[in-house]
Amino acid sequence: MALLLKEQIDKRWPDQAKCTCTGGPHLYEITCARETLAELCGWLFIDMRLKFATLVVEEASREWRLRYIFYGGAGAVWVHVLASSPCSEESFPSIVESVHAADWHEREAEDMFGLTFAGHPRLGDFILHDDAWQENVQPMRHHFDPQMAIRFRKPAADWRPHRIVQEEGAFVMPVGPKFSGATESVHFLLETVGEDVIRFTPRLFYKWRAIEKLAEAKPAGRVLLLAERFAATTAFAHGLAYCQAVERICGAEVPPRAAALRIFLAELERLRQHAGAIQEICESTALVVAASGAGIVEEDLLRISGELTGHRYLFGMLAPGGLLVDLPDLACQRALRGSQQVLRQLEKLEARLRVSSSFLDRLEEVGLVAHQVATAYGLLGPVARASADAHDLRREHPYSGYEKFQFEVPSEEEGDGYARLRVLFAECRQSVRIMEQALDTVAGGSVCRSFPFRAGAALGWAEAPRGATFHWVRLDDQGYIDRYHVTAPSFANWHGFHAAVENFAFQDFPIMLASFDLSVSEADR
Amino acid sequence: MSHWVFNGIRTGIKTSAYPRRPETAAGVTPGLPRGRKLDAGEAKALMDTCPAEVFRLEDGRVLADVRRCIHCYRCMRIAPHPALWEQSYEWALQPGRETGFVSAFKKSINICVVDAGDCGSCLNEVRQLNNPYYNIHRLGFFITPTPRHADVLLVVGPVTDHMSLALQKVYNAMPTPKLVVAVGVCALSGGVFAESFACAGGVTDVLPIDVEVPGNPPPPLAIIHGLLVATGRKAPVDMPATPYQSGGSGP
Amino acid sequence: MMATSAARVFIVITGFFALCGAGVLLSLIAPRQRQGSVLAVAGCLAAAALILAGSATLILGENFRQPLWSLPNLGTMTISLDQLSAVFLLVTGLVLFPASIFAGSQLKRRSSPTGRVFTVLLLALYAAIGLIFISGDAFLFLLAWEAMSIFSYLLIVFFRKQNNDASGAGYLFLAMGEAGTLAAVLGFLLLGVNAGSLDFAAIHAAAPGFGPGVRWAVFLLSFFGFGVKAGLAPVNFWLPRAYAAASRAFVPVLAGATLNLGLYGLLRVNAGLMPATGSGPGLIALIAGTITALVGILYATTENDLKVILAHSSIENVGIVVTGFGAGMIFVGTDHPVPAAIAFVAALYHLVNHSLFKTLLFIGAGEVESQTGTRDLNKLGGLIKWMPMASLAFLVGTLSISALPPLNGFVSEWLILQTMLRSAELSSAGVKLAFSLAGAGLALTAALAVTCFVKVFAMGFLGMRRRDENPRVVEAKSGTLVPMFLLGALCLGLGLLPTYVIPALGPAVRPLAGASATDALVPPFFTSSPAHNTLPPAFVQDFQGLGAQVGQNLLPGRGLVVLHRGGAENPVIFAMSPFYMAIILVILLLATYVVIRIWLTRGRSLARRKRWDGGVRRLLPEMTYTATGFSNPVRVIFDAVFRPTAVEDTSESVTRHFRTAIRRERERTYLVDRLVFYPVRAVLMRIARTLARLHQGRLNTYAAYVLAALLLMLLGFLVFQSSW
Ligand code: SF4
Repeated sequence: MALLLKEQIDKRWPDQAKCTCTGGPHLYEITCARETLAELCGWLFIDMRLKFATLVVEEASREWRLRYIFYGGAGAVWVHVLASSPCSEESFPSIVESVHAADWHEREAEDMFGLTFAGHPRLGDFILHDDAWQENVQPMRHHFDPQMAIRFRKPAADWRPHRIVQEEGAFVMPVGPKFSGATESVHFLLETVGEDVIRFTPRLFYKWRAIEKLAEAKPAGRVLLLAERFAATTAFAHGLAYCQAVERICGAEVPPRAAALRIFLAELERLRQHAGAIQEICESTALVVAASGAGIVEEDLLRISGELTGHRYLFGMLAPGGLLVDLPDLACQRALRGSQQVLRQLEKLEARLRVSSSFLDRLEEVGLVAHQVATAYGLLGPVARASADAHDLRREHPYSGYEKFQFEVPSEEEGDGYARLRVLFAECRQSVRIMEQALDTVAGGSVCRSFPFRAGAALGWAEAPRGATFHWVRLDDQGYIDRYHVTAPSFANWHGFHAAVENFAFQDFPIMLASFDLSVSEADR
Repeated sequence: MSHWVFNGIRTGIKTSAYPRRPETAAGVTPGLPRGRKLDAGEAKALMDTCPAEVFRLEDGRVLADVRRCIHCYRCMRIAPHPALWEQSYEWALQPGRETGFVSAFKKSINICVVDAGDCGSCLNEVRQLNNPYYNIHRLGFFITPTPRHADVLLVVGPVTDHMSLALQKVYNAMPTPKLVVAVGVCALSGGVFAESFACAGGVTDVLPIDVEVPGNPPPPLAIIHGLLVATGRKAPVDMPATPYQSGGSGP
Repeated sequence: MMATSAARVFIVITGFFALCGAGVLLSLIAPRQRQGSVLAVAGCLAAAALILAGSATLILGENFRQPLWSLPNLGTMTISLDQLSAVFLLVTGLVLFPASIFAGSQLKRRSSPTGRVFTVLLLALYAAIGLIFISGDAFLFLLAWEAMSIFSYLLIVFFRKQNNDASGAGYLFLAMGEAGTLAAVLGFLLLGVNAGSLDFAAIHAAAPGFGPGVRWAVFLLSFFGFGVKAGLAPVNFWLPRAYAAASRAFVPVLAGATLNLGLYGLLRVNAGLMPATGSGPGLIALIAGTITALVGILYATTENDLKVILAHSSIENVGIVVTGFGAGMIFVGTDHPVPAAIAFVAALYHLVNHSLFKTLLFIGAGEVESQTGTRDLNKLGGLIKWMPMASLAFLVGTLSISALPPLNGFVSEWLILQTMLRSAELSSAGVKLAFSLAGAGLALTAALAVTCFVKVFAMGFLGMRRRDENPRVVEAKSGTLVPMFLLGALCLGLGLLPTYVIPALGPAVRPLAGASATDALVPPFFTSSPAHNTLPPAFVQDFQGLGAQVGQNLLPGRGLVVLHRGGAENPVIFAMSPFYMAIILVILLLATYVVIRIWLTRGRSLARRKRWDGGVRRLLPEMTYTATGFSNPVRVIFDAVFRPTAVEDTSESVTRHFRTAIRRERERTYLVDRLVFYPVRAVLMRIARTLARLHQGRLNTYAAYVLAALLLMLLGFLVFQSSW
């Protein structure tokens, strides 16, 4: 396969000017002319069954550089498709016709850089809300002046919600950004004619903090703080992906002890986040005892994390090159025992939920995601795995030594709320299993090896609790950030969520939302 | 479905003894740095380690402005002369004076929670308040979805540009008397997001704050302390007159 | 003495026709831009004459008969004005007065070349309507009826140019009306043949001798014939179409005056000329009425076109009235005169009320349409900000029609529901069951009516304005406001003072039921009332304790409490006083206001805040509930039964996954259309094809056929009569 990809590309696109493939066997870079871009990406996505990771836009001194990153497939490869154009040329062909997963990525690039993607049916009003900002604000451009952007606020006067339902008396029910009890801020537009909701459109980015802009020209160590804190319920996974990107650029080795402990902590975080997700699902169905039980488990795990690392969300553990501080083996053992105990609680809870018909009635066939939809939208994590899309970066592109661990990637066929719940429980089991192995195999020695910075760029990735996360980092030789691009799993899953949710009863909405375990801060960045 | 009832009863009481007695379980708080006595050179090293400019030097003492701490633990874990660390959770401060609102509704307070761009952890800790471990209902606190019923506005997050209008709308929609409790370092000063053009530097830029709860994120117990301070049932930590610099020997 | 008062009434009646005629003449000579004034003045004066004639007859309590001229073999054409006619004359006058002002103002607004025709036709229609009520024999009645049908038809198709539906709807109106007329003619023929005379008095005198076959035939023919005009299900499919097609100026007359004609015919034939002897016909009326009410209100609730909603709601109200008639007929047929009187009074009361508030609502709807250019509630909204006075008057109408105290709809619906409960006195279990089902149906109807008119007012007048491109909306002019407030005041008056309304209606139903509703419902509590001594002193004592005497030295009449007395063990069967209720309501409202504004918020500042919108940046009109959305739950619930719509979903996407549109077409089909109209139309079309030679396709030719048929019938009667 490894050679195959290169050969196939050379055969399909013999004209070197249009498409040249270099590298291998794990990482290919394909330089591609604009006219073949859509065709090539479509071929990779549909025929080669690669997954779309992200689109990285970089504004070099003279040209735009677009990097479409694909991964997976039969050979577990990384394929970077590179397209470029002079700075004056701001239009690229859109690839969404065949790679629907790139939809929001292109919209983001349009909003952030002012690029247009010819053939994309709907650009604009995405990250920068048109009813809050004027046209031509392009925050990620180098010459962007925030003072000007803010001083000359002139939001579109005629902004209207995007509606597609055409029926007599159809209207848009706005929900949020402040709604319900303690929920993240996000705005929903539910199109309805009363009673059932026909179509749902999320309006994200109320929480957009522009962390990618914020990271620019900051030292790598500082940006780690941002990587941990932009979506802190899964802080460790994001920090890990970021650190791995920096380490990959600089060719730094992580000491084995640190690598094992990183896995231990990453799985502890997954366990805790899944417990939280289970709690939310139980709460959304108003099953109070189960919600309380899951809540107890979640708090137990927060306390275990706090006791082990000092911080309940595992802040301050990671450092480029390893860990900031070593963890005593005894403390790790205690944490493992605690986690095993928690797992037993979770298993009891699962056994009880499985026989609670009123609970199951509300989850089954709710928020159905067909397998084709999951792949077309590039859904990630437990949501994709519940629709028989059993991808897992830990297995396919192992990092930090995951290849040495025995674990399963649970998956389900149905793609409904209940399937997602079962995947969550199954993953909790696997996480504890990995934690056990991590402590069995953990070596002694230091936990951090310092290294000199070099200029370069690399992708760091990790399987965060909600799915694959990709951090693209470009460093200069001083160790300062040139470009930082984060693609978090919730970004893809929100995109898929709004496709999965159609024609439903309003009262099911909280359940669907909970069963997708979506994070707004992760998607908004 | 009766098994749920028995299951619920069998779980027993998990609820924290706080505020009647201190909570002693491990891992309930990330703790906060304290200042210490250091000479100028050592102090400079400490101050340089901290990315959040928490420390400052006054009269040969290093003072810690805990409101700014983002829990990166660098002062403790990599500074040559580490800061001291206090595993407390009673952190709430009252920047202004008494609010005068307290007597009427001491025992039944409705809280409207607004996420103004937090990272998810502060909000997750707020969500834990309804967890059996903390169960704020026993203290007469209720989280309400609508500002119309709310006495207290609890804000998390640095107030993003996109959320600032919504936050003001929530505040305006609340009946008086009302209090604003800012929870978490981002809400207090913007935290790591303070420099972003898309964020305000905390809630103060938008609304007057009555009670501040530092921490990134503050643990549930600290938030409870904040709510108790807001209702006059607990004293605030006296800040910044005598900050956490007292005592303190080396580790 | 009597002769002189009768003569005066006769002069007034003659005056009415003279005024109509003078109006017609004036209109013919007046310039185009004066037509509105001519219509308003002549119409108002004619209406005033009707009011005068009706109320004079009611006050004098005397019937009045005037033979006009004799026709060979057809008997004498007679004008007869009894109490029942007087009630109808009065309410018609009350409706035509404001309706004429409104129609005149509408004509003034756009002085169209057809304004003259409109004025002439409308005044002619007034005269025809008046003539129907005072016809003393079947021949005059049918002539007037036919004239009314044709004038109405011409008035509906009057605006054919502006409104393409009008010709089809008008045609349907005429066709159905004529089908009804034919049935009515047959019914009268049967009566006439059996009584040997077309004179109403003679028929009435001969009625006890009719056999059951004749009775049933007459009942069914007249029930169908007049039911069509009244809008009874399932022969009412013409009604929403005709109302929607009729011009704004005409539709208040159509709903307020013309609709009553069918009900008058029903009542005149089945209770006046030929009192029921069994419970069968009444049962049919009861059931048909209830079904009509339910179907009407269901469609009213799920419709969004303001005019069509009001049309369906008229069907509903006719259903309620007919249910009351049916109850009355059953009570008459089973020899329960007192409940029968109550039922008839309640039904008449509701009829009067409906005429008033429906005219009010149609005037309001016309004003809204003429200003905004639309009747679609999904496109209206927020009108109260622009036309507060008109909205207030419209609100009075919606409250009345929703049967909320202290307005008139409440009184009559309450009385009808109470009547239903009186079925306990009947012996037949089947009839009792029918009564209880009808009662339940009416209760459901009342509940849905509230939903429906909450929707109408909330979606049309409250909330946000939905379309920016709407023309500028301003407060209604006096030509609209005066009629609306007049009618609103009448609604309030009839709601507050049933103790004065019932005695006025009582004499009208007395001959129908054989008992006095006045005595049954309005006990003479006031000591100033001459009948005061007829009440048992202990009873009076009890009610004096409750305040029934309040106002006795200030007010004339019998009191302010409606009360139906029972036997010894159950002295009060039902009682109420909307007047006291209103006083208590006002006191409570004032007290609440005082408590909130003065006491609770004393020493506090009152803050007004905008509505809470979830923090959304801009709350736009498309983010608020639409009329369709509001009534969707009702539609969903009744979808299984009524299948009011046929849904067709289509969705469009580009590049496979981008949804660009989800379309959902709902084809509205009306239950009655589906079950009756379409099949009948199919059959008729087949017949029409075979009769293609006769059928010229010209509507007026068709009308001429019907007229010819009518004359033929009369001729037949003539021949039959002379050979006998
Ligand atoms: S934990 Fe980090 S932010 Fe807090 S004081 Fe220490 S160095 Fe500063």
